[in-house]
Amino acid sequence: MIRKLSLACVLAGASVMANSTPLGLPPVPIPENNPQTPEKIQLGDKLFHDTRFSADGKVSCATCHSQDKAFTDNLPVSKGFNNLTGTRNAPTVLNSAYMKTLFWDGREPDLEGQSKQPPVNPVEGGLPNHTPLLEVIRKDPEYISTFKTVFGVGADKITMDHVARAIASFERTVIAGDSPFDSYYFAGEKDAMTPAQIRGLELFVGKARCVSCHRIEQTQALFTDNRFHNIGVGFKTIQGKEQQTAAAFIKSKREGADVDITVLTRKSMSELGRFAVTENVTEVGAFKTPTLRNIEKTAPYMHDGSLETLKDVVNFYDKGGREKNEDPLSGFLSGGIRPLDLRSGEKQDLVEFMKALTSPQLEQFTQR
Amino acid sequence: MNNYSRRKFLKTGGALLAASSLPISMVEMAFGKDSEQNFTFAYISDSHITQIEGNKFVRNWDRGLIRAVAEANLLDPRPDFVFYGGDIAQLGKPEEIDHGLEILSALRGDVHYVMGEHDYYVDLGEYWQKQLGPDHYSFNHKGVHFVVLNSILTHEEWMHKKWDSGMDRMKQMARLDNPNGQPFMVGDKQRSWLKADLDKVSKDTPVVVFSHSPLQKIYKGWNFWTDDAEQVQALLKPFDKVTVLYGHVHQIQTNQIGNISFHAAMATAWPWPYPSTYTQQESYLPKLTVDMNRADPFFERDATGWQFINLHSGNVDVHYTLPDNEARVVAFDEKLGHPVDTKYQAMADRTSPQKHY
Amino acid sequence: MDSRTMRHIAAGVTLLASGLVLIPAQADEFDQADLDRWQQEYMSVVEQGEKLFHGGLGNKNTVSCDQCHPNGANTHPETYPKFQQQLGRVVVLGEMINWCIMNPLESEALALDDSSMVALQAYIHHERRGGELAPGKH
Repeated sequence: MIRKLSLACVLAGASVMANSTPLGLPPVPIPENNPQTPEKIQLGDKLFHDTRFSADGKVSCATCHSQDKAFTDNLPVSKGFNNLTGTRNAPTVLNSAYMKTLFWDGREPDLEGQSKQPPVNPVEGGLPNHTPLLEVIRKDPEYISTFKTVFGVGADKITMDHVARAIASFERTVIAGDSPFDSYYFAGEKDAMTPAQIRGLELFVGKARCVSCHRIEQTQALFTDNRFHNIGVGFKTIQGKEQQTAAAFIKSKREGADVDITVLTRKSMSELGRFAVTENVTEVGAFKTPTLRNIEKTAPYMHDGSLETLKDVVNFYDKGGREKNEDPLSGFLSGGIRPLDLRSGEKQDLVEFMKALTSPQLEQFTQR
Repeated sequence: MNNYSRRKFLKTGGALLAASSLPISMVEMAFGKDSEQNFTFAYISDSHITQIEGNKFVRNWDRGLIRAVAEANLLDPRPDFVFYGGDIAQLGKPEEIDHGLEILSALRGDVHYVMGEHDYYVDLGEYWQKQLGPDHYSFNHKGVHFVVLNSILTHEEWMHKKWDSGMDRMKQMARLDNPNGQPFMVGDKQRSWLKADLDKVSKDTPVVVFSHSPLQKIYKGWNFWTDDAEQVQALLKPFDKVTVLYGHVHQIQTNQIGNISFHAAMATAWPWPYPSTYTQQESYLPKLTVDMNRADPFFERDATGWQFINLHSGNVDVHYTLPDNEARVVAFDEKLGHPVDTKYQAMADRTSPQKHY
Repeated sequence: MDSRTMRHIAAGVTLLASGLVLIPAQADEFDQADLDRWQQEYMSVVEQGEKLFHGGLGNKNTVSCDQCHPNGANTHPETYPKFQQQLGRVVVLGEMINWCIMNPLESEALALDDSSMVALQAYIHHERRGGELAPGKH
């Protein structure tokens, strides 16, 4: 399985290196200190799927980011070591290479930083630190040889940085565009979307007010602005307790608590969102705009997985950032969120449009 | 080793960073620890609550004030009090003032109020004063003398002439770019009151003046103007340290005139453009101003906000809390003797969004 | 036709031929009076636009354009057409005016050739007169 995938990914890697970006996407940003090579990508793929990097030997990156499920796990919140659950929904790896920060609260600035955290989180990989992970690698002949080829380091010089760089390289090939929307919008193929989807697009850039955060531009569309917004999800958990929760969080942070562990294990504090990282009062409950590409495949939705279907999502926005009209609105609600007054046909069209964002390239990732 | 050292930095970063880049919430006062005279307060202004009809108010302005109150309530340690800088209401209606005060009632702590023209002109301040007390007053707090002025008055004859309705008079003053606008002023009577009030204050007492209009002459066309600014400034001249905090302009402005520092408040409701963007007329912008970021109008709270004031040794630092933007800190620089934007003062450090045209 | 009429006609033809009667014979001929009058026509539409801009659009939420744009400031008509992030594509000024009408003003868009739309644009441009064109500038 891994070998077949490696081939597909080497090809994908090679195609990325040959600069054939899918329609609708800009070139993948590659950091200067981590250039792509086919061997590095292949190594990253292997590391991504290695379940030995967990306390019970059963959890790898792919556990929560499975290529069969559009690189998510289709669960509201992920299940890690010992089937422990955290507080957050697993974002897709697809097109994460375009993200300017990683995690729902942007606590890591790049893919390299992101991959280091889950193995040592108690509800994810469950390891006490990176040492067990590095021990496995340093004793594995295949890894020893590959790390030597890719990074020119001997077994005892392999570090978590090397591991992270390889994984990031692999993730930079997990790109998917060229959807029916892209063909319609950027290639002028008028038949690529259905009439309902075309109406949905008009709503998306008009009455439904989606485009300002889920960006479409003249020649490319990332469907994210890479910024953080409080759209009202999860407000009930923290309602009326914002002050205490914020104060308790800051106190625990000053006393040395790890933000990564806190936000995945303490539900109320998890709802502080971006505030947990920046301590900026204007960012309470703000979470990163995910891409909508392939959204049909990455249910359930939102940072806590609380919205099951795209229909639920549209309804949530239509009501101005709540599930029912009687629900209270968060005082920290983004100024971009307001009731939309959509008719039921319009809501359906929006859902249909979002289905037009699924990339045919997903198939190459699910080949077994 | 690497991954942990960055994590450690994030944990302890607050204590290691310079005061200017401390986050606004949970600020461990770098200055406050050693003196009783150092304290903080919140400063919220210009909510412009607008009634549509009955119990329906313009959602956008309501949300702005709700947001400021929610954020201000997170401040820890608690500020000593809150100042509200004027223009609770848009047209001064009792319903609007009441709705605004209802939202403000969620604030933890005492609130002191400043009159704005949108509160005043429909009934010459009658309802506002009934709810909130005198429109000019002073008090002392931890060695600082606070003065609140009603600086949005205008020529007596115009205010008291025969109007068909108070609302007609209000609408004349409500329109910012009114070609028939009347200039704001403190007026003779209140300046006499101010002189008598300041006579009792020793010259080395720090003075903080709250005013809705700028107590400067910035741009007359939009009433970014106080007609007797020089006379008021003259009354403040003898003091060692004076700070004027004003509303009305809905944008960041910073100035130093002699011994007086001037700071403008952001509105919770909406931003006004900088006067220089009206290219048909000349205007004067307070010279130390580092412009606020340009707004993305999709985000209703962009280019709105409120302020958190840190008062230390009689000097005022203003922390602008700006949704959808990085916070801005304009701190008094003892060596230079005037306020300085702690990150962007130098032209070379300015960012693209700070260029207005 | 009687002889008197014929004499009038003959006189008219003579006058025409002599060019003493100044009926414009060329397509784009106009004089100062025309220019003044046409400027007045334009200003009358600018005035209409000013009224619409200052609360005359009749939108239910009572928000008016001049609340964020006193004297049309910050509308930058000289930068259109340009990429408008709020619309995701390159647009003309009228489309952005419609965006404002639909979003902060929570009302219905106008047709781009609607007389109110034309009046709004006339006012906006008038308040920005004298500057340089800068199409595409953000």
